[in-house]
Amino acid sequence: MKRTTGAIAMAGITALLLTACGGEAATDDDPTTPAAGETESEAPADDEEATDDGDAADDTADEPATDEEASTEPPVRDQNAELVIWSDDVRAPILTEFADEFGTEFGITVQVQVATDVRQQFKDATNVDQGPDIIVGAHDWLGELVQNGTVAPIQMSEDVQAQFVPEALEATKFDGQIYGVPYATESLGLIRNTALAPEAPSSMEDLIATGQGLVDSGDADQVMVTPVGQQGDAYHAFPWLSAFGGGIFGTNAEGGWDAENVIIGSPESIQGGEKIAWLAENGALNVNIGGTEMEALFGEGKTPYMVSGPWAIANVDGAGIEYAIDPIPDFEDGGVTTPFLGVQMFYVSSKAKNPAIAQEFVNQYVPSVELQLALFEAGDRPPALQAALDQVSADNEDIAAWAAAGEGAPPMPNIPAMNAVWGPLGQATSDIVGGADPAERLAAAQDEVVAAIG
Amino acid sequence: MSQQATHKGDAEVGHLAEPEHLEYGTRPPIWVTVVKWVLIALALAVLLYVVQELIEAGHWLMVILAAFVAMCILAVYSTRRAVPLKYLLPGLLFALALQIWPLVYTVSLSFTNYGDGHLISKEEAISAIEASSVRPVEGSARFSLNIAVPEGQDVATGDLIYLLTDPDGNFFAGSLQGLQPLDAETVEAGMTGRITSADGFTVLSASEVNARSADLAEFAVPTETGGIKQIGLSEAFIGEPTKVWDEASGTITDTLTGRVYVAEGANFVPQDGVGPPLPQGWLENVGFDNYTEALTNPTLRAGFIKVLVWNFAFAAITVISTFLLGMLLALLFNDSRLKGRGVYRSLLILPYALPIYVTALVWSSMFNQDFGLINSVTGLDINWLGDPWMARLALLITNLWLGFPYMFIVCTGALQSIPGEVREAAAIDGAGPFRTVRSVIMPLLLVAVGPLLIASFAFNFNNFGLVFLFNEGGPFIGGQSQIGSTDLLISWAYRLALGGTQPNFGLASAIAVFIFFIVALISYQGFRSTKALEDVN
Repeated sequence: MKRTTGAIAMAGITALLLTACGGEAATDDDPTTPAAGETESEAPADDEEATDDGDAADDTADEPATDEEASTEPPVRDQNAELVIWSDDVRAPILTEFADEFGTEFGITVQVQVATDVRQQFKDATNVDQGPDIIVGAHDWLGELVQNGTVAPIQMSEDVQAQFVPEALEATKFDGQIYGVPYATESLGLIRNTALAPEAPSSMEDLIATGQGLVDSGDADQVMVTPVGQQGDAYHAFPWLSAFGGGIFGTNAEGGWDAENVIIGSPESIQGGEKIAWLAENGALNVNIGGTEMEALFGEGKTPYMVSGPWAIANVDGAGIEYAIDPIPDFEDGGVTTPFLGVQMFYVSSKAKNPAIAQEFVNQYVPSVELQLALFEAGDRPPALQAALDQVSADNEDIAAWAAAGEGAPPMPNIPAMNAVWGPLGQATSDIVGGADPAERLAAAQDEVVAAIG
Repeated sequence: MSQQATHKGDAEVGHLAEPEHLEYGTRPPIWVTVVKWVLIALALAVLLYVVQELIEAGHWLMVILAAFVAMCILAVYSTRRAVPLKYLLPGLLFALALQIWPLVYTVSLSFTNYGDGHLISKEEAISAIEASSVRPVEGSARFSLNIAVPEGQDVATGDLIYLLTDPDGNFFAGSLQGLQPLDAETVEAGMTGRITSADGFTVLSASEVNARSADLAEFAVPTETGGIKQIGLSEAFIGEPTKVWDEASGTITDTLTGRVYVAEGANFVPQDGVGPPLPQGWLENVGFDNYTEALTNPTLRAGFIKVLVWNFAFAAITVISTFLLGMLLALLFNDSRLKGRGVYRSLLILPYALPIYVTALVWSSMFNQDFGLINSVTGLDINWLGDPWMARLALLITNLWLGFPYMFIVCTGALQSIPGEVREAAAIDGAGPFRTVRSVIMPLLLVAVGPLLIASFAFNFNNFGLVFLFNEGGPFIGGQSQIGSTDLLISWAYRLALGGTQPNFGLASAIAVFIFFIVALISYQGFRSTKALEDVN
C-alpha cells in the first residue's frame, strides 16, 4: 500500500509541477498581452486577422483559437536558407512570391515561414539564436523588441521616408530611430448598417438620436455596439477618452510618448470619461457587450452602428450585412474622436544570420508599390506607402474610408510602459460604463498606472 | 503473520537458490539479445541525434548531460550487473527530466531578474545600445554600394572593399584606410549608378556577402564625419553611433544630449537621475530580491489573505461538489437494473472530452447578464460576471460541469471493484440503501479515490486556465484592477508579475515557489490523513 501512496504522491507532484509549469508557460504568452483586459471581449471575434491587429489584445484572442492544433509549434529555422522571414499565415503566401523573386534576383535561398504567434516565438527563438532574419508584425511590439535588443534599426533614406504616410512612418520610430518598414495601417472606424441607418451621422449626438429612434421603433436592439466587457477595453475606449485632448501619455521633447507623463487622470481625460458615461447612459456602451456579443448583434442586424476595425469586416460580409464605413463622428461640443493608429511592418532581427540580405529586402523590396498592393489584397488594410494607398483608394471605397478614419490618428504608443496601461485603464472605462464616477475612477487608474510604471 | 510468511518464503528461496541460479545463468534466447541490442542502439541513436542538435545550438552542458545519459543506458543495459537499475533507470531519467529539472529551473530563475528588458547579457545589451544609436550624419550623402575584395584575393577571406557611387555619380573604393576615388574608365555601373564591376576588384555575390556577415558587421570606411556603413547589399550611408560605451569608466555617453548613463540595477540610468533609463537592460543575479518583493509588494500584501481564502474555498468546494455529483451519478449508473447504462455513461463523460478553453469561454458567454443563455432561459436578471459573489458561484458551476465527469469515471471504476458480497452482507444485516452507502460503500470508495481527491485539490488550487479564460479573475471591485474577486493565487501572481510594465519571470518564479510550498504542505497533510482511510483494508 505504501508503494501506491508513493506513486500517487509522485503523480500528485507531477500534476503540481505541470500546473506550475502550465502557469508559467501561459505567462510566457503574456508579453503579447498589453491589453490584458481586452482578451475576453475580443476572444472569438476574429481568427485570421487576430494576430495582426495593432490592438495587441487580438494577439491573445488568437491563442485560444489556435491552441487546439499542434500548429502552435514555433517554426524551425531552416539552417540552409539565406533569408528567413516569419509571418502570420495570411501574409505568408504573398510574401513567399516576392521572397522567391528576390531570391532569384540575388541567387539566394529564401524561406517564408508561418508563425502562429510571431511576437513570442521570435523572442524565444532569438534568445537561443534560432530566430529568423525578418519578422512581420505590429508596430506596438517595438518597445519590447528594442528593450530586449532583438531588432536592428533601419537606416531608411529620406526619399524613401517621404514615400510613406507620415503617421505610419511615425509609428516605426522608437526614441527617434526607425526600426521597421511599414506596409499597412489600421484604425477604428464607424461601421454602419446601411439598411438601418442610410445616412452617416453628423455627430455622436446625431448617432445616438438615430440609434435610439431605431431602438424605440423596434428595428434595433442596441443603439451602437463596441467591445467593453467586464474588464473594459482601453483600445476601443480611447477615441472617447481622448476627445478633449486627454489620453494616456503626454509627449516628450522629441515628440515620442513620455512614460513619465501619464495623463489618464487629467481634466481633459476626465472630460472624455464623462462622454463615456454619457454614451453608456444612452445605451451606446454596455459592459455586457464584448467582442463576441458585438459581432453577433451587428451580424444579426440588431444594431445600426459598430465601432470596430478592418478585422471585423470579414464577419460583417459573411453575415450579408450591407455596410458603409465612416470615421467615428465627433461630439457636438467640440470633442474630436481619434482612434489609435496601428501599423503593420517588417522588422529586421538584430541577431539576423543574414543581415545584409535582410536589410536589402526590407529597404529595397518592401517600399515597392507591388509588394504593398499584394499585401493589401491579403489584409484589406490601407497600404502604408502613399502611392499604393492612392492607387487602392481610387477604386476601393472601404480602403479610402479606413484611410480617412485613421487620418491624423496618433500611433498606438509603442513604449513598454503601455503594457501597464491596458489593464487599469480598461477596467476604469468598464467601471465608468457601469456607472462609476469618471473623475474618481480615472484618478484611481492614473495612480495604478503610475505605480506600475514605477 | 505476514512476517512469518515472508520468512518462510525466504527460506524456500534459499533452499531452491542453487538450481535456479544455474537456470538463470544459461544464455537467453538469441532473439531476446537481438531485440535488446536493437533497443539500446535505438536509444543511443536518438541521443546522438539530440547531441548533434545541441552541439549545433552550442548548449555544451546539455551535451554533457545527454552523453552521460547515453553512458548510463549502455552501462546498465549492456551488462548483467545492476539488475535493479534496469527497472529504475527509465523512471529516474523521466523524473529528472520532467519533475526535478523544471523545479530546479524555476527556483534558479527566481534568483534572477529574467524578464522583458532583461533577457540578454550586459555585453549584448551594450552592443544593442550602440547599434540602435547609429544615426546618419546630418546632411550626409547616400551611396550606391557594391561589396568586393581586391582581385586575386579569396572572396571568403580577402580584405573587404566598398565600391561606392555618390549621388553625383563619382566612383570610390572604400577600405579600412578610407575612400579612394576610382577612375570612371575602369568601372562599369548599372542604371542607378551602382558599380557592377571594377578593374582590380572581385565583386561578391549576395551569398558571398552573406557569408562574411561577421566581418561586415565590424567593417566601416572611415570618413571625416563618421563611418560609411552598408545598408543591405546596394546602399551605404555615413553614420555614427550617438551612444558610446566607455569601458574604462563603465558609462555610456549620449553624444546628442551629452547625458551620461551609468549601470545600475541591470539598466543604464542617467547619472544625474533625471530621465528614463535606456531601454536595453541585462540579465543578472538578484539574490533574494524577488522573494523580498513577493513579501513586501503592497498589492500582494493587501490582497493576499482575500485571494488565499478564496483559493482554498474554490479548490475545496470544487473537489467536494464534483466528487459528490460524480459519485451520485456513478452510484445511479452502477445499478444493473438501469437499461442503456453505456450510453448514459458515454454522454456524461462528454464535458470531460471538450477542451477546457472552449468550455470556459462558452460558459462565460452563457453567464452574460444581457445576452447570456442562463438569464434568458431562467428569466432572471443576475449580474453573473459583474457581482463578485455571483461570479464566484458562476465559476464554481462551470468547474462543476467541467470536473464531475472525471469523478464519475473514477467512482464508477472504484464502485465496480467493491465486491457484491459486501453489499449483500449489509443488506442481510438490515442496512437500508442510505446506510449501505454511508457506512459500507463510502469508506471503501474513499480508500480508492482519496488520493485522487487530493490530486484534484492540488490541480484546482492552481487552475489557472479556467480562471483566466472564464473571466480573468474578475470582477475587479472597488476601483482597482489588480485584485480580482475570483482570482486564484496563480492568476493573481501572473497579473502582478507578468501583466505589468516589465514582465518579470524572476518574480513570477519566486511566487510560484511560494505556491509550490503551500500546495506541497496541503498535499502532505492530505496524504497523511488518507492513511487513516487505508486502515479500513
